[in-house]
Amino acid sequence: MDNLSQAIVLGASAIGAGLAMIAGLGPGIGEGICGSKAVEAIGRQPEASGAITRTMIIGDALAETTGLYSLVIALLLMFANPFIGQL
Amino acid sequence: MQTLELLKNAAEFSVKGPLQSIKFSIGGLDVTISESIVVQWLVIIILAVVFFILGRNLKLKPTSRRQMAAEYIVGFFRNMVNDTMGVKYKKYTVYIGALFCMSLVSSLMGLLGLRAPTSDLSVVATWGVITFILTQRNKVKTGGVKGFFKGFIEPMPFMLPFNIIGEIANPVSQSLRHFANILAGSVVGGLVYFALGQVAGGLASIGVPAILSLYFDLFSSFIQAYIFCTLTMAYVSMAECD
Repeated sequence: MDNLSQAIVLGASAIGAGLAMIAGLGPGIGEGICGSKAVEAIGRQPEASGAITRTMIIGDALAETTGLYSLVIALLLMFANPFIGQL
Repeated sequence: MQTLELLKNAAEFSVKGPLQSIKFSIGGLDVTISESIVVQWLVIIILAVVFFILGRNLKLKPTSRRQMAAEYIVGFFRNMVNDTMGVKYKKYTVYIGALFCMSLVSSLMGLLGLRAPTSDLSVVATWGVITFILTQRNKVKTGGVKGFFKGFIEPMPFMLPFNIIGEIANPVSQSLRHFANILAGSVVGGLVYFALGQVAGGLASIGVPAILSLYFDLFSSFIQAYIFCTLTMAYVSMAECD
C-alpha cells in the first residue's frame, strides 16, 4: 500500500513537472514579439541599434521570468520533491 | 535498446544543493560555511588580484595596455550608471561595478567545474536584499520619512496592500531570475554532458559541450549580471520621491 501511494505521488509529480513547463510558451511568445519589434526598430533607425539592443535584452530578461518560475517549480518536483516526505 | 539503457542511466542523474560540510556555532548562532561561500572567497581573491594589478602605477596619459583595459572597465560602469540613473547618482558606480564583477565572475566559476555561487539562491537573494535596502533608503533620503510613508498610499489609499506587495516582489523576482537562469544553465549543461557521455562511447563529449557552454555559461552569465545591475539601478533611481 505504501509503495502504491509513493508510486502515485512520484507519477503525479512527474506529470506536474511536465505541466509546469507549459509555462514556457508565454516567455517564448513574449521574447519573439520583443525580438521582432527590435528588428523593426533597427530597420527604421539603424543608428540607434545599440540602445535598441540593450533595451531588447532587458525586455527579454523580464519576459523570461515567468518561464523561470515554472522551471523552478519543475526542478523542485523532480529533484527536491516536497510531497514524498508527507506520506 | 540503446535508448532504454540511456533512460535507465538517466535515473542516476540528480541535482544537488551546495555542499554544507563546515558547521559550527558562535554564541548559540549556527553558522554554516557552504560551498557557495568558499567559491565566493575564491572569486573575491581573483577580483582583488586582477584589479590590484590593473590599478598599479597609473599615468595621466595611458601608455600601457593594462591601463587602457582599466580605463575601459571604469568607463563602462560610469556610462552604465550615467545612462540609467543620471549623473547625480554617480557614487553608485562603485557598488554597481562591484556587483557586476562579482555576479559575472561567480557565474563564470561554473566553467572551471566549480559550483557557481549564483546558482545558490541565498547568494543572489542577499544581493536582492541589498537592492531593497538601497531602494528604501533612497526613498527616505529624497522624500523624508513623511514622503516614504506617503508613497505607499499613492495614488489612492486603498492601493496600500498592492504597493507593499509590489515593493517586496521586486527583490524576490530579481533574485529568482538570476538564480533560476544560472541554475537552469547548469542543469541543462549537466544533463547534456551526461547524455553525451553515454553515446558513442563518450567520444561525443569532446568539443560539443564547448558550443553549449558558450551560450549557457558565457552569454547567460554576462546578460544576467547586466540585467541584475540594470534593475538595481532602475529600482533605486525610480524610488526617488518628488
